[in-house]
Amino acid sequence: MSVAFGLLRKLRLLFYLAVLIAGIAAAAAIGLFFVVLEDLPKIPHPLSRIIETPPTEIFAADGQRVMVLGGREAVPLSRVSHHFINAVIATEDHRFWDHHGIDKLRTLKALYVTLFKPGKIQGASTITQQLAKNLFFSFERSWLRKFKEMLVAVQIESSYGKEEILEAYVNQIAFGVGAFGIEQAAHIFFGVPAADLTLSEAAMLAGLPKSPTRYNPYRHFERARQRQRIVLIRMADVGYISPEDARAAAQQELVLEPLRSSARSGSYFLDLVIDSLEAQYGAQVVYHGGLKVFTTLDPQLQAWAVASVQDGLATLDEELGVLKAEAERRPQGALTAVETRSGAVKAMVGGRDYAETEYNRAVYSQRLPGSGFKPFVYYAAFETENLHPATVAVDRPVRIPVVGARDWEPQNFSRRHRGPMILKRAFTQSVNTIAAQIVEQIGPDAVIQAAQKCGIQSPLDPVYSVALGTSGVSPLEMASAFATFATGGIRHDPFWIQRVEDAYGHVLEERIVSGRKSLNPEIAYQVVDMMQAVIENGTGEVIRRLGFRLPAAGKTGTTNDFRDAWFTGYTPTLSCSVWVGFDREAGLRDRNDRGVTGGRGAAPIWADFMKRAFEGEPAREFPVPDNIRFTPVDPSTGMPAGPSDPGAVQVALRPGQTPDGRILGSPALLPPGFDHRQEEQ
Amino acid sequence: MNWSEPQDVREWLSRLFSLRVILLAIAVYSLALAELRFDWVEQMLGAYLARTNSHRPQSGAIWEKGKETLTARKTLEQIVTDRQSTQRLARGAETLSEIAEALAPSHGVMLSAAHFRGLYLELPPAVAGDIASPFELLRIQSTGRWERTYFRKFGRSIKIFLLDMENRVLRELTVPPDLLGRLEQRQDFSEGVLEDFPRLKNRIYRAGRFFEALADQPEEIRRSILPAPERILALSRPITRVGVSDEALTGFVDIGLEFESEGKTMVMVLQARDWAVWRLRLDLEAAAAPLPEETEIDTGGTL
Repeated sequence: MSVAFGLLRKLRLLFYLAVLIAGIAAAAAIGLFFVVLEDLPKIPHPLSRIIETPPTEIFAADGQRVMVLGGREAVPLSRVSHHFINAVIATEDHRFWDHHGIDKLRTLKALYVTLFKPGKIQGASTITQQLAKNLFFSFERSWLRKFKEMLVAVQIESSYGKEEILEAYVNQIAFGVGAFGIEQAAHIFFGVPAADLTLSEAAMLAGLPKSPTRYNPYRHFERARQRQRIVLIRMADVGYISPEDARAAAQQELVLEPLRSSARSGSYFLDLVIDSLEAQYGAQVVYHGGLKVFTTLDPQLQAWAVASVQDGLATLDEELGVLKAEAERRPQGALTAVETRSGAVKAMVGGRDYAETEYNRAVYSQRLPGSGFKPFVYYAAFETENLHPATVAVDRPVRIPVVGARDWEPQNFSRRHRGPMILKRAFTQSVNTIAAQIVEQIGPDAVIQAAQKCGIQSPLDPVYSVALGTSGVSPLEMASAFATFATGGIRHDPFWIQRVEDAYGHVLEERIVSGRKSLNPEIAYQVVDMMQAVIENGTGEVIRRLGFRLPAAGKTGTTNDFRDAWFTGYTPTLSCSVWVGFDREAGLRDRNDRGVTGGRGAAPIWADFMKRAFEGEPAREFPVPDNIRFTPVDPSTGMPAGPSDPGAVQVALRPGQTPDGRILGSPALLPPGFDHRQEEQ
Repeated sequence: MNWSEPQDVREWLSRLFSLRVILLAIAVYSLALAELRFDWVEQMLGAYLARTNSHRPQSGAIWEKGKETLTARKTLEQIVTDRQSTQRLARGAETLSEIAEALAPSHGVMLSAAHFRGLYLELPPAVAGDIASPFELLRIQSTGRWERTYFRKFGRSIKIFLLDMENRVLRELTVPPDLLGRLEQRQDFSEGVLEDFPRLKNRIYRAGRFFEALADQPEEIRRSILPAPERILALSRPITRVGVSDEALTGFVDIGLEFESEGKTMVMVLQARDWAVWRLRLDLEAAAAPLPEETEIDTGGTL
């Protein structure tokens, strides 16, 4: 009897203890409630206000929207596939329609697991709690934060209907790869509006919010697929679909949209646009102001530019013997295409893969242009010394004294010297010693002035070697500067933003396309004519071999030890500069240790891009100024030749210029019967 | 032993199943069941929190974002207001000098081509000619591409860009500071007599003689000398004398009209096409000898 009494006494003690604990817990909860009450956030009304931040939209030149910054693409629940709604509810909170913000049974179970099963943590957040957390709280894990989150959830439930809560929730979920909200996610992952998601697609998306990185289908497709199956099973368990439907959906093939630039910037061009906008308006306005930004980007040209650079670099990888896995050993590339008559940047590639490196080499990289700088040298010489393409210069060893430094002894790429030749030939064959003689005669300042008149803005060292491109420039500068030749000397500064409006269509800024007459049009044409010869039969003739047939002009560039390979060229309407090289200090050498020149590394990319860009376009010749006349001359003596003379070269001459065999640096004419081979010896 | 403790099992049971305990248990059970079924605790809490919502702080991620949005909107509103205000002033401007005053250093204004032409025609011909030749404007207009005109302040000067639909500049005009000062004079009126103007003092004619000679000229010449005679007609006082400059500038020659106004002698300077003035001068000089009161000194200056 006493045993039973003892037991009863203990039970009574336990009962009172439980009552006491419950009382203390209740009192603590009430006390805590009033303590945190002051800190609880105010909830906006209406709830849809949470997704009212207007997005900044960036548009291409053809009106296509290429990027959305900030904001949310909110859609009403009626425009979301019911499959997705069911999938989210089944996966995240299957008692969503029944509870009042807190799923008590799940919470108690989670509490038990968390307290009594060490190392295990079970989540019990309802959809409303998740919404409260995402909207108001940090991701710090603490009991206090959890308590506040529960309170906010019950307030949300008291203030809004279930549909409103669900709508707010699906419009703010993070799906990874920059996709926020179901509408944006449906477009990014499957290229469809949220209303058109199939069961299989909806289940895939509903599985992502648990861990957008871990289940990112672009990186871990099988893992994401496995998660999709779990979602489908949950949907069948809850009764939204039959097990047969779940199986069928699990087996359905899923085709992901290519990860486009709208997912994040994903594009060097858009990075440049955003940087410019931030500099002009500040980050706050850019990300929260709902701007409409109309850019100069041509999406089709951009796609071709990306493809051309990637294809060209893949070919280069093979030639260099670099494996795909050796990311750091792979060369980089950059391309910029500029509309000649306005300066509008139509396409830009700042590297081989934006995902690997976001550094925009097309704009920020200052690489030595090598012989790509020679058009400025020849322009300056023609302008200041009245030289012309038929002026004769002698390709010979050159030593130029430099005050306070070693003499400058530039070498030709071939390490050979070919004696006298007209400047047009020296240019097309990219003869360094002749460029050096020119700069010795006109001085480096004249070259720098010519480059700056064309639009080069990078600092240029006033040294003789500037003639051979020893000061760094960017592909954007080169494309833009060469466009000045294409327009007969009218310089347009490059730009990439056409117009900026606020969310209501008020114009904040618009670009005035203004050109400045920077070069003498006749001299500019003489340089254009020589640059055309580079492509026809000079160092850039690979362009023709690769099938680009339209009238074009350009110049190759290669620097010491093959560290940089350039090709910059243009048609009358589009100027494009391509650079390839390593980010690190290394030269481009193939498996046989042969160096990769601009003609070999960059020109094929240029040709491939221009072929795509001009497919089906008519041939447009460069306009010839009225006073220019063409004369055939002997390429060695610079003397007039008959049009049918073998080897005669057509040169473009300005009024008052005659092919008289004048030699660079000397007023004397070449003596009759001059044999340059003897001179060379 | 506690004196109130039940002494036997019967008493234990009778206490345990007493009406009070049973009612209490039912009440507690009902409350718990009702809570599980109807969530009344959450509803009460929720209702209370909803009622006190307005007193709580706008804190948390979404409010921070909201504040940023608000600040961004205010910034943009300010930019738009500034621009619209400048634009409104410019659109309502009746003279180029009003536009010049309205221009802010940070942004320009855009007007239609027609509006600019209207303002241009309002300028004294000499000033208009210094900004742009009317024939050049005619040429640009005839291309059919001139749609808009953009004004922008550059230092103390103003640049005027004549634009096509794609904002390409068809012609860029510069109004330097000295010309800006002249813009403010809607008409070239000055107090004084013709002799005060060195360029006009050498050839001064009686108004009657000048206008008679002008009336004898073909319409083309008359229009080239006085393209807007209604402006002269609008003068309330008759013109007394006319001075003709010996110098031609960018194809124009200054003509000064002297008249009395409110007890003061005023001179209004107009610009006429040089070749038309030359024809008129031949007629003026071929006519009868000058009247004694006229001062007419031919210095042999060229037009």
